[in-house]
Amino acid sequence: MRVVMAIMLGVALLASGCASKVEYGDPQARETVTPDFGSSDLQMIATKMVDDMMVFPPVVELTRNRRPVLFVDRVKNKTSEHVDTESITDTIQSRLINSGKFRFVDMTVVDRVRQQLEYQQDSGMVDQSTAAQMGRQIGAEFMLYGNLSSIVKRDNSTKDVYYKFTLKLLNIQSGIIEWSGEKEIRKTRSRSLFGL
Amino acid sequence: MTRFLCRVAPMLAVLLLTACSASNMSRLEVADDGEHLQLYSNNSLLASRLSVEEVRRKRVNDLLYMQATLENGWKFELDFQYKIKWFDQQGFELAPQSQPWRQLVMAGRSQANVQAVAPNPSAVRFEIWVRE
Repeated sequence: MRVVMAIMLGVALLASGCASKVEYGDPQARETVTPDFGSSDLQMIATKMVDDMMVFPPVVELTRNRRPVLFVDRVKNKTSEHVDTESITDTIQSRLINSGKFRFVDMTVVDRVRQQLEYQQDSGMVDQSTAAQMGRQIGAEFMLYGNLSSIVKRDNSTKDVYYKFTLKLLNIQSGIIEWSGEKEIRKTRSRSLFGL
Repeated sequence: MTRFLCRVAPMLAVLLLTACSASNMSRLEVADDGEHLQLYSNNSLLASRLSVEEVRRKRVNDLLYMQATLENGWKFELDFQYKIKWFDQQGFELAPQSQPWRQLVMAGRSQANVQAVAPNPSAVRFEIWVRE
């Protein structure tokens, strides 16, 4: 009986050694908690899209002597999960801006910019020699938009998820798609014998 | 009952121990200084199985574009992560927090090319880091 008590005490000590705690981790590390869309997928997609776009010869030609102005439309989430696709396009946008090859206009803040312009022009509070003028914004030449879709298959022990992210660069004036990139991700979760 | 507990408790202890073990963080560093290839390794298992066969580089629209040919010398599948670090002329790392670990699965005794584009035109040198 004493042996059993000692073993159980040992197990209890081990178990308490694994009690929950909060730690900072590497945000760029691989995350495989569940097969659902996660941070690693977002980072892989953004990196692949930017790398592909940067070395595509017609895009290289476009950005050789100037920095075209783009706007991000949206990425349609066609998966069955909730995915913040704006977060993906934000990361792509940041990387493209930081490359020094592209400039962006932000359509999500148009109303607030208009309010600020009206305040500067009409409120009488702002020195008109420093006020920003109406009608001087630069029109976007290209639009970035895309889709995120998934195929999910499962049986009793396995769940297989396939994601496909597609991004397109469209010339607004001509309607021509100048570039299109794809990234595929496959994730499989298998349950082990004891469900651990 | 006592006999059952005696059998189950050690098994449970082993399971708990394995569940809480830390992952192996072995590293192999490949630095390309334009002249020759330098290999740094902490002599880990991964580094002994993985080797860099060739590194190519070119400038695309002022951006450094790299390709490295990795070889899995092991006869089994190798599942690991790699990361490219970019440096400017003065040795400053570019966008250190924004380069993700990328997943790569290589079949036994196979080669794979990894490619990446520098985050901005100031990159002149890169390093490949791998871990399990």
